[in-house]
Amino acid sequence: MNRFAVWMAWRETRAAWPHVGSLWGVLACVALGVGALVGVGGFAADLDRTLGREARALLGGDLELRSARPLDPATEAPLGRLVQRGASIARVRELVGMAREPTRGGAALVELKAVDDAYPLYGRLETAPAGHAGARLGPTGALVQAPLLARLGLRVGDPLAIGAATFTISGVIEKEPDRAAGVFSLGPRVLLGAAGLDRTGLIQHGSRVRYRALVRLPDSVDARATRAALAREVADPSVRVTSFDEAQPGLRRFFSQLTTYLGLVGLVGLFVGGIGVAAGASAFLRRKLLTIAILKCLGAGSRTILATYLVQTLALGLAGSLAGAALGLVVQSALAPLLAAFVPFEIETRLAPAPVVRGLATGLLTTLLCALWPLLQVRAVPPALVLRWPVDASGLGRRRPWLAALPIAGGLAALALAQAGSLVVGGLFLLAAVVALGLLGGAGLGMARLARRLPWLPWVAWRHALRSLHRPGSQTAGVVVALGVGVMLLTTVALLDRALGRELDLERRREAPSFFFVDIQPDQADTFARTVSAASGGTARPVLTPVVRSRLAAIDGKPIVREQWEGREDAWRATREYALTYAAAPLPGTVLTRGRWWTAAEAATRPRISVEDEAARAFGVDVGGTLAFDVQGVRVEAEVMSLRKVDWHSLSTNFFVIFSPGALDGAPTTYIATARIPASAEPAVQDAVAAALPNVTAIPVRDILERVAGVLDRIAVAIRVIALFVTGAGLVVMAGALAATRAQRLYESVLLKTLGATRARVARAFAAEYACLGLVAGIGGVTLGALLAGIVLVWVMDVPWTFEPGTLALGLTLTVAVALAVGALATFRLLGQKPLPLLRRE
Amino acid sequence: MVEIHDLVMRLRSGDRVVTILDGISLAVPARQFVAITGPSGSGKSTLLGLMAGLDRPTAGSVRVDGVELGALGEDALARLRLARIGYVFQSFHLIPTLTALENVAVPLELAGIPDPRARARRLLDDVGLGERRDHYPAQLSGGEQQRVALARAFANEPALLLADEPTGNLDSATGAQIIDLLAARHRERDMTLVMVTHDPALAEHADRIVELRDGRVTADRSNGAGA
Repeated sequence: MNRFAVWMAWRETRAAWPHVGSLWGVLACVALGVGALVGVGGFAADLDRTLGREARALLGGDLELRSARPLDPATEAPLGRLVQRGASIARVRELVGMAREPTRGGAALVELKAVDDAYPLYGRLETAPAGHAGARLGPTGALVQAPLLARLGLRVGDPLAIGAATFTISGVIEKEPDRAAGVFSLGPRVLLGAAGLDRTGLIQHGSRVRYRALVRLPDSVDARATRAALAREVADPSVRVTSFDEAQPGLRRFFSQLTTYLGLVGLVGLFVGGIGVAAGASAFLRRKLLTIAILKCLGAGSRTILATYLVQTLALGLAGSLAGAALGLVVQSALAPLLAAFVPFEIETRLAPAPVVRGLATGLLTTLLCALWPLLQVRAVPPALVLRWPVDASGLGRRRPWLAALPIAGGLAALALAQAGSLVVGGLFLLAAVVALGLLGGAGLGMARLARRLPWLPWVAWRHALRSLHRPGSQTAGVVVALGVGVMLLTTVALLDRALGRELDLERRREAPSFFFVDIQPDQADTFARTVSAASGGTARPVLTPVVRSRLAAIDGKPIVREQWEGREDAWRATREYALTYAAAPLPGTVLTRGRWWTAAEAATRPRISVEDEAARAFGVDVGGTLAFDVQGVRVEAEVMSLRKVDWHSLSTNFFVIFSPGALDGAPTTYIATARIPASAEPAVQDAVAAALPNVTAIPVRDILERVAGVLDRIAVAIRVIALFVTGAGLVVMAGALAATRAQRLYESVLLKTLGATRARVARAFAAEYACLGLVAGIGGVTLGALLAGIVLVWVMDVPWTFEPGTLALGLTLTVAVALAVGALATFRLLGQKPLPLLRRE
Repeated sequence: MVEIHDLVMRLRSGDRVVTILDGISLAVPARQFVAITGPSGSGKSTLLGLMAGLDRPTAGSVRVDGVELGALGEDALARLRLARIGYVFQSFHLIPTLTALENVAVPLELAGIPDPRARARRLLDDVGLGERRDHYPAQLSGGEQQRVALARAFANEPALLLADEPTGNLDSATGAQIIDLLAARHRERDMTLVMVTHDPALAEHADRIVELRDGRVTADRSNGAGA
C-alpha cells in the first residue's frame, strides 16, 4: 500500500464528509449486519460463560449418576468409596404425578422431586419464606412453585394431597438451581422430603421414576477423572454417569443451534448490506470517473487508484462495523431477557471481545469483498476520458472484472462457512443463498428487461415508472434482492409459526387425545374407565393399552455394554426404559417398512417383535435379527419380524417395540390410556381421576401443547428480531439505490414540471416505480419464503406444509407498502424543487 | 523527442466509422516549441492525447524519448507520463476535492518525492498563486485554475509538456498570462512544448507551426518570430 493511496483516500473522505448523507447508506448497511452478528455472538458468549459458571449447580453436583431404577449394590459400592474420600452425596428422585386440593378436589399435573437433607450440593434453593429446605420438608412438608397455588386456589400453609398422602405447603419455590424450567416442563415443581415421597405410595412397579445420586467431590479430586473411573466401575449401562461439564446437553445443544441459526440470519443481514456497499461503491465510482481519468493522466497507475478507493471504502466499512458493534451490544442485552426463561439462572450480559472482533472482521471483509467488484472497474476508466468529458461521461467500458468474481465469491462463501461452524449447515446456507440470489436477481433483471420491451403504455405515470426501472445505474436487481431476502426471512418465520401453531392447536387435531393417563394398575382399569366416562358425561371412551417396562439387554445376542454406546448422541436409545406393549394385529395407522406382521401361529411359537425403523437402524438390527429385553430381571428375547414407521407427531400412543401376544405374559403390567374429551369437561375428568385413583397421572395434552407453543413463540420472536435487521438492511439498500439516481430523478421531475406535469403526477410516476420494485421483491420474497418454510417443515420438522394465502398476501402487501413508504421518504423532497435554478445550472 | 509515424485514429460512432487522424507523421526535436493548429474537429486534441499515451491509435506509432508507446501497458504509460510528460487541459481538470496545493502535490506524491507540500508551495508561488493555495478549485477563477494546472504540469519537471488549448476557456488577457508562463518555462527549463490551439495569434509564439485539417498535416513551417 503506498503512501499516496492513504493520503488521497483521506482527502476524498474529508471532501465527502460535508455530504455525509451519501455515506450513511453504506455505513448503515454494514452497521445493521455487524450489529446482528455481534448481538448474537455476544449472547452466545454470555450463555457459554454462564453455563460454564453454573455447570455444577445445573447438574446438581460435580458428578451425577442417573438411572430409571434404584441404584444396585454394585453401583453403590464405588459411591461409598467416594464418600470415604470426603465426597458428599445427595439423593434425588423425580417423577411426574398429580397434586390435589384435598377438600374441593381440583387436580394438577406436577413434577415431583424428593430430596434429602444434603440437597442442594451446589447453588441455592430459594424459597419464600426463606429457610433451609430440609427443615421445611420433613415427612409432611411440600415446597411448590407459585403457578400450582394459583391453579388449585391454595396458599402457603394449606394442605395438598399427592398420591395417598397429604402434605402441608410450607413455602413457594423461587429458584431451583438444577432445573431448566423454561424448556418443556410438564408442570409446576413440587419438592418433597425423601420420607414424604415414600408416604405417597406413587413408587410402584411400572412407575417412571428418575433416581439421581449427586456427588460433591472434595477440591483435591478431579471430576473428569473420577467420572471416567466410575464409568468403568459401574457395569450397568443404564446408569448414566455425567460430570458437571456435560450438564444439560440438551439445553446446550438447543442454545448452540439457536445461536448458529440466529448468527446465519445475521450474516444474511450483512450480505444484504453488502449489496448496499456494492451499489454505493458503484455509484461512487460513477461520480469519480473524471477524477480517476485525471489521476491516470498525471501518472497514477490503476493499482494506486484502486488502493486509494479501497482504503476509503475500508475506512467506511470500519466506521460502519464499529457502529454495528455498538448496536450489537444493544441486541445482545435484548436477546438475554427474551431467552433467559430457558435457564434457571440469570444470564449476565458482558462485553466479550471475541464476538466483537469477529463481527468487526466479518464486517470489514464483507465490505472489502462487496466493494471490490465495482471498484475493480477503476482499471477500465480510460485516461482519454478527460479529452471527451463531459460529452462522453459513460466512462466505464463493458469490461467486467470476471476473473475477480471467483475469489470474491469464494471469500464470501468462506465467511458463511466460518459463521455456520459446520460444512453441512454452511453448505446448505450457501445453496439457499445462491438459489435466493439467483431467483430474486433474475426477477429484478427480468422486470427491468420486460420494462424495456413493453409496448407503449397509455398511462404516463406507468410509462415513466417502467423507463426508470431500466435507466442506467438504476440497480433494480440489487434492490429486488435486498428487499426480497428480508421478505423471504420474515415470511418463512411467519409460515413456520402458523404451521407449528396449527400443529399445536388441539382443537384442530380431531384425532388427538385430550389426555394421556399413565400408571393405571391392572386392578384399576375398570374403575378408571367408569370414572372417565362418568366425569365426561358419557362422551369419552378411554382406550387402554397394556405396558410393560423393561430395558434393552442385547442386540442380536450381544449384550449392551457401556463402552459401545458412551459418548454417542443416541446413547439414550440403549440406556432408556422401554415401554413395551403387545398386540395381535397392527395398531390403527401402522405403516410397515420391512417384513410383515405375525400370524397367531407364529406368535404362539416364540416371541416376535415389530421395531420402529429409526430405532432399528440405530441398533443395527433388521428383520430376522433379535432384541433381548430385561423385564424386571427376566430376560425375554424376541425375533424382529417387521420394522414400522411411527409418526411421533400424531399424539397417539406409540411404541418403539411391540411384542407378539403371549410373549410378555406374567410380566408386571400397567396400563396407559388416552381419551378425547370435550374441552369443557377436561378439568372435571382430571379432578375425578385424581380423586378416585391418586396414583394415576393425567397428562393434559392441551396444556403441554400450549407450553411448547410458548417456547416456540419466544424463539420466533428472537428470530424475528434478527430478521428485522435483514429487512432494515434491505430498506437501506433501496433508499441508497434511489439516492444514487437522485440527480437523474431531480432533472427528470424538473423537466416534467416544466412541460406542465403537476407534482401529483410526478409523484404518481415515482410511486408506480416503487410499487413495481415492491411487487417483484414481494412476489420473489414470499415465494422463496414459502419454499424455505416448506423445506424446513417437511424435511426437518416432519410437519405437513399447507398453502397459506392470507400470510403470503399480507407479506406481499406489506412489502409494496414499505417500498412505497421508503421510496416516498427518499425522494419526496425532489418534488418541491423549483425548475429554473436547476435548468440554469444544467 | 517525439516521433510519430503514419498515425491513424478511427472511432466508431453508431454504425459508421469516423477517421480522426489519417496517416500523420511528425517529428518534434527536443527543446522545440510546436504549435498545432487547425479548425475544430481536425484531430489536434486527439493527436496530443496520443502523444501522451492517453489512448491507443488504430495504426501507426508514437515514440517519446525513444520509447515506443504502443509497446507499453496502461500502468507503464502512466509511469512514463509521471516521469517525462506534463499535460495541460483546456478545461483545467483539477480534482475538485483537493485544494490548489494538494492538486499540485499529486504528481510529486505519486513520484514519491520527499516533502511534496513544500515543493508544491514553491510551484504555486512561481505561478503567482501562493496566497490561494488552500482554496478549492470551485473557489478559484478560470485563470487561477489554469495556473494551478500549469504548476501541476511543471511539478515533476517533465521533458515534454503537452498543452491542449490552454487558453481556450479564458479571456484574452488571462490567456496571455498563461502563454507567457508556458513560454517562460519552455525557455528556462529547455523542455519540449507541444501546444494545440486554434488561435493563430497564440501559435505565433511557437518555433514551429503544424497545421491539421481532416486528420492530415496540411502545413508544417518554422516560425522565425517564435519565442
